Amino acid sequence: MKFVDEFRDAELGRAVAMEILSLVESGRHYKLMEVCGGHTHSIYKYGIDDLLPANVELVHGPGCPVCVIPMGRVDDGIAVAHTDGVIFTCFGDMMRVPGSDGSLLDAKAAGADIRMVYSPLDALRIARQNPEREVVFFAIGFETTAPSTALTLKRARAEHLKNFSVMCSHVTIVPPLKALLESPDLRLDGFIGPGHVSTVVGARPFHFIPADYGKPVVIAGFEPLDILQAIEMILRQLEGGRCEVENQYKRVVPYEGNLRALEVMAEVFELRPHFEWRGLGFISHSGLKLSDAYADLDAEVRFSVPGVRVADPKACQCGEVLKGVIKPWECKVFGTACTPERPIGTCMVSSEGACAAYYNFGRFAREREVV
Amino acid sequence: MTGADTCGSEHCITCGDDGVPMQVLRIDRVRGLALCEDENGTRATVEIALIEAVEPRDMLLVHAGTALTRLETPA
Repeated sequence: MKFVDEFRDAELGRAVAMEILSLVESGRHYKLMEVCGGHTHSIYKYGIDDLLPANVELVHGPGCPVCVIPMGRVDDGIAVAHTDGVIFTCFGDMMRVPGSDGSLLDAKAAGADIRMVYSPLDALRIARQNPEREVVFFAIGFETTAPSTALTLKRARAEHLKNFSVMCSHVTIVPPLKALLESPDLRLDGFIGPGHVSTVVGARPFHFIPADYGKPVVIAGFEPLDILQAIEMILRQLEGGRCEVENQYKRVVPYEGNLRALEVMAEVFELRPHFEWRGLGFISHSGLKLSDAYADLDAEVRFSVPGVRVADPKACQCGEVLKGVIKPWECKVFGTACTPERPIGTCMVSSEGACAAYYNFGRFAREREVV
Repeated sequence: MTGADTCGSEHCITCGDDGVPMQVLRIDRVRGLALCEDENGTRATVEIALIEAVEPRDMLLVHAGTALTRLETPA
């Protein structure tokens, strides 16, 4: 298929891998973070790290929106789902995320009417079809997904739908990157920037990374050649002493992003003062809530939400994994007590979570030649 | 995503920052929606409010039911 096949060419992949090999400096260790969960998934699925020299290390970032949802937020969703008359809708990603007393899937098994949707528009259709019920959409995701929720809210408003509301857990990409860059226990040499988030926000929001922290960023697509080329571009910047934002994914990402999407988000959402991220704690201005103009469609206003903060399970080291401080397999419960079938931490839930991706594709990683 | 209630082994919509290339088949301009088809022939109704002047045969990158950007139209 066009846009896909040409970016999976094995011969070209090997050629780029050789370029990468020629760019690395012997004895120097390179630590690059892929911000996006989609990149993590592709890296493991296609064995990209096996094509890299051992001194090029890929660190998995916080870009999986499911993985950063704290337990208390899941508990809030379950509480709303158990409210009489409620149909609770969410993406399938969220169903198995453990709260303090089970997941949404467990709540569904216990009788709550919880339905998986592929799009917020599906939730809106359920609301139209069930005028006697309250339909809540649990909105998660970065700026890629937030415009979809925003447009759905505008439709609900235009149609005067009274039985639809949104529990907003959308997050933004820049604040956690700043938090990671400020983290004393993590030293990174560059970033593989998020591809589809950038279709919305563009390249401009990432300029603070080279400007303030002196690290290169290359916005990348999700096919194996995209990721390999992005790594090559970062290494080329480092070799040449350059430090800038480059766009490897120009076929999809315009420099300015999608201005219509940014406008609709600005109309419907506003920044929360703080939002809790699993493993990263509270980060200022990192989460979105519905703006005052849309407060009547805010599930957190319409329903009683406990809002209790729940500490992560002690055995779980998702926080360290999300920060790239440890590798998934270095977690004490990885692959034993915590598996994709029975996850303890959120990184094992979504197939884009670093732990699940590694569990599914990378458990038998080979030793790589040290340059 | 699989059709099951939980994530399958492939991408999840949000965590994968998923973007699916889809071709526009029909447009409902009144409602601002388009019927689109992906490479497997799966059809979906897609929100097109974020893309200017969508036409049939256009290729769009679709995430969670919303077109985020236009891709190069095949010859």
